[in-house]
Amino acid sequence: MTAPLQQPDLVVEASGLRLCYRLAQQRIPSFKEYAIHWLKGSLKYQKLWAVDGVDLRIGRGSSVGIVGRNGAGKSTLLKLISGVLKPTEGSLEVRGSVAPILELGTGFDHELTGYENIFLNALLLGHPHREVEARADEIIAFSGLENFIHSPIRNYSSGMIARLGFSIATAWKPAVLILDEVLSVGDQVFKRRCEERMRDLVTDGVTLLMVSHEAAAVRSVCEECLWIDQGKIRACGPVDDVLEQYSELATAGQALRRGS
Amino acid sequence: MRLFSDILRYRDLVRYLVLRELKVRYRRSVIGFLWTMLQPLLMLLVFHVVFSAIFRFDVKNYPVYALAGILFWNFFSQSITTSMNSLRGNASLLTKIPVPHVVFPVATTVSGVVNLLFALIPLFAILVVTGHPLRPSLFFLPVSILIAAAFTLGAGLALSPLAVLFHDVVELVAVLLTLLMYMTPTFYPMAILPDRFLWAVRFNPIRSILEIFRDPIYLAKVPPVSHLTVAIGIAILALVAGSLIFRATSDRIALYA
Repeated sequence: MTAPLQQPDLVVEASGLRLCYRLAQQRIPSFKEYAIHWLKGSLKYQKLWAVDGVDLRIGRGSSVGIVGRNGAGKSTLLKLISGVLKPTEGSLEVRGSVAPILELGTGFDHELTGYENIFLNALLLGHPHREVEARADEIIAFSGLENFIHSPIRNYSSGMIARLGFSIATAWKPAVLILDEVLSVGDQVFKRRCEERMRDLVTDGVTLLMVSHEAAAVRSVCEECLWIDQGKIRACGPVDDVLEQYSELATAGQALRRGS
Repeated sequence: MRLFSDILRYRDLVRYLVLRELKVRYRRSVIGFLWTMLQPLLMLLVFHVVFSAIFRFDVKNYPVYALAGILFWNFFSQSITTSMNSLRGNASLLTKIPVPHVVFPVATTVSGVVNLLFALIPLFAILVVTGHPLRPSLFFLPVSILIAAAFTLGAGLALSPLAVLFHDVVELVAVLLTLLMYMTPTFYPMAILPDRFLWAVRFNPIRSILEIFRDPIYLAKVPPVSHLTVAIGIAILALVAGSLIFRATSDRIALYA
């Protein structure tokens, strides 16, 4: 008897993954207008396939950098994997918990202190209160914000908020850690500390998915790389190969523009 | 059921959101907390003047009758309005953090219940001051409040995603609430209604639930089983319908929030 065809080590599995944003041609914000247009049969949408047929198989402990131009669909792909957006078509399976930082400062209340925000943010990520209490000190220590933790975060710089967010998200060991261009605002010292923690987590079996426009950051923590273009995977493989292709295209594009 | 397990899993977050909402409400001013109790009393004063001096109708111990009605209506309309806006107001969260959407309308309904409990204090004061009989039927109130909360949550679950998808739902509901307020005998007795309007009030589901709340206080009686059955039926229906609408729309909410 053979074992069932299951690969327990796949953490993210997607096939034919598509997501469509429907952009109403006439903006229809009201129920009244919607009803009228619907009755007249004149409801027209411009469809935008932000993610357009993506197949993915990402194993436990992989570290994948995601590159591509603005509007290529990187963030939408991360939103799908985080579970914030549901696929329009195709299948997506994510096994285990997800800790996403999709944007700096969301899940924070700017009127609350850093300390209070640790609770708000961690509760929003689904951690029980007593676990947050148990890890609060560790989170503060890693963020290096001991001196500011009891002042409201509206006084924080974006780098400080990034520190706090990263410290909270990585205080628990998720199955998948998702970062969307969030470390670019941190200072060099903290960035190095984050990269170190990311490598530790990955060694520990965490899967890392990271969008970044900084090739150096991708290279320093990721082993693999995914290049997304117009909602599709343009290339994927070892980080150096993909980044090389990607930068070749960028320089070619520049040359083209200069030539014209 | 999925929604229920989501709430259970995120119960600490719900508790946090409830506390935050109460804090915001009561931190504003020193009398913030007192205001919850004072506001219905002032409303009562207005109604008392209007209806005993101008429109004249006789209701035995009108202050208790009207105050119970006002408290119920405040709970109902405020909870519906805040939970309707709970997803719109947290739009940036919904598109960035995979938190189950249901925690937001649930938290607003729970904090509405807490506010109602605070507002019961002046009601009990009025009961004592006016020498209204204090009967064990008052112990039935938690059941009444539970029924009212279930109904309100159902309405909030139905309206909160609709308010994200269609921006005019909020205005529409505001108008509907005003209409419903006049169709609900909160501050007037059913007896003053002309026969041709009686049906509108009789078949108003909110009236059924109001009476389950008011009977134990005003009549000092546990509501009859027939009324209770209708009210529970309405609450369950609202909760089921609300959950179905919420679930049917939940996948699309983050696209429009």
